[in-house]
Amino acid sequence: MSINFSKIVRPSYTIAEFAKHVVIVLVCVALLFPLFLMIVMSVKDKEQVVFSFFTIQPPFHFENYLVAFSYISPFIMNSVWMAIGSTVLTVGVTALAGYAFGKLEFPFKNVLFWILFAKMMLPGIMNLIPSFTLAWKLGILDTSLPVILFCAGTSQPFWVFVMRTFVAQQPQELFESMRIDGANELQIFRYLAIPLLRPMLALMSINVFVSVWNDYIWPLVTIQSFDKRPLTVGLAYLTSAHPGDYGMLTAGYVIAALPLLVLFFISMKQFIEGLTAGAIKL
Amino acid sequence: MAHQSVPPIRQTPRTKNKWQRQMWVGWLFVAPAIGLNLLFDWYPMMDGIYRSFYRWDGYSTAVYVGLENFRKIFSDTIFWTAVTNMLFFLVMSIILMIPTIITSVILFRIRHMRAQYIYRVLFCIPMVVPWMVIILMWQFMYNPQYGLFNRFIELIGMPDMQQTWLGDSELVKWCLVFMGFPFVTTNAALIYLGGLKSVSESVWEAGALDGVGPLQKFFYLELPLITGQFSLNLIGTITAAITGYTTQLVLTKGGPGFASMVPGLYMYFSAFKSQKYGYASALGMVMFVLSLVITLLSLKFFQKEESES
Repeated sequence: MSINFSKIVRPSYTIAEFAKHVVIVLVCVALLFPLFLMIVMSVKDKEQVVFSFFTIQPPFHFENYLVAFSYISPFIMNSVWMAIGSTVLTVGVTALAGYAFGKLEFPFKNVLFWILFAKMMLPGIMNLIPSFTLAWKLGILDTSLPVILFCAGTSQPFWVFVMRTFVAQQPQELFESMRIDGANELQIFRYLAIPLLRPMLALMSINVFVSVWNDYIWPLVTIQSFDKRPLTVGLAYLTSAHPGDYGMLTAGYVIAALPLLVLFFISMKQFIEGLTAGAIKL
Repeated sequence: MAHQSVPPIRQTPRTKNKWQRQMWVGWLFVAPAIGLNLLFDWYPMMDGIYRSFYRWDGYSTAVYVGLENFRKIFSDTIFWTAVTNMLFFLVMSIILMIPTIITSVILFRIRHMRAQYIYRVLFCIPMVVPWMVIILMWQFMYNPQYGLFNRFIELIGMPDMQQTWLGDSELVKWCLVFMGFPFVTTNAALIYLGGLKSVSESVWEAGALDGVGPLQKFFYLELPLITGQFSLNLIGTITAAITGYTTQLVLTKGGPGFASMVPGLYMYFSAFKSQKYGYASALGMVMFVLSLVITLLSLKFFQKEESES
């Protein structure tokens, strides 16, 4: 009602409102343009890419997708395993530690917390080369273990910090009452903390998953075998190996973008709410 | 109610047991996190500091050289070219934080909630598309032979204007900056939006009653209200500009020549191409100190600003 009222009283409001929509729509168009171009190009063959760049006309070459899929599907599987492995390990470790720092009392708690907290503030640029030599010494090069283990080692300080704050905000009585009922700490964690932490765990899972999915340099350095490479490394390699074949390549980019897009549209509501909720906590 | 009948004399050992039990449980619960962090985060960092005082090719025995690596870095012309380029990218990325702020404020001011939600969904899409796909699409657009820009210049009949874009040492840095077009970082925009939405309704109502104009509202209400989120994003932007090099690694390899070389990429090449692990570690340490100092300075600046206003 109030909106209608103001429209009547001050007509300039509608013009201003319209201008806002125009600006945001233009931003969205510019943001999504590379993706639009990607889809348009993906149904063209080599000649159409050169001779009819700006037009879309039949014949459409959907076989680009079949060719690209045969190249890219192994990379997708590698990325899926890496991302799932990293997410499970990181989230599990972080939930345990976040709960303990938030709700349990034990000696040296502050010292142990500072170990993580200090690392959160320090830039990670030093780590690449020594991490590589460490992975080499451990004999885990050319597997997905470096990605999983180093992700769990380096990404959790921030999340333990977030999780601790979240745990500490939960009412103490809940935990005490379960203790009085004779539950041990593991049961309290399993049946009380985990359900309470669920929104935080979901937000964290999405973030860790996407960051591993996007990681390029670390898997590039640690994985030599072609068939073990993740999606990012595979895509960059394909692009340099097939110069000019942009119909097939863009089809490959579309396939590479699909898994996360589908996941996003399934969990859109939680995703957007989580993003806003996480922002407020900062 | 059984615990009420327990004689008080047994209370002391019980609480002590509970304390001890919690102690072990606490340590057990944090052990995996601390262990992983010490081994895969702290140890590499310490090892990097240690290695930066050595000359080491990765295979033979490392030789202690003291500060020689650092002395070499400061007389290394490639390093200084890289730092100059890095400063260019740093300044540009800080200036280009402004469009994101303006966009998020405009998005926040949109009254139609349904439309605002749709825009937010659209803003999320670039975040879930693998970032490598976006980089490679820009590489395609810049491609001199097949790419969008040269084809478009040809279409409008000015073939003399065609460029080699990423292959041009004058243009390459601007091309890398322009890749951010329309210079709206969507996740940052949504974080600002979240910050503005968390402000209580009464603040905006008070502003409206005082008859604050749109520009005044921006400078006196919205901008100060997102200072916290902004300084957090600023630290991220500064750290990324000083230490990041993935885009350069994928698109230009620092070239043509050293026109788009940045310190991070130089570190990468020193280690994995020239096998100078000690020198590369020293380069890493220089960047580490640099980004730490700039981050702390900017934090301090913001805290001062906040306390003054």
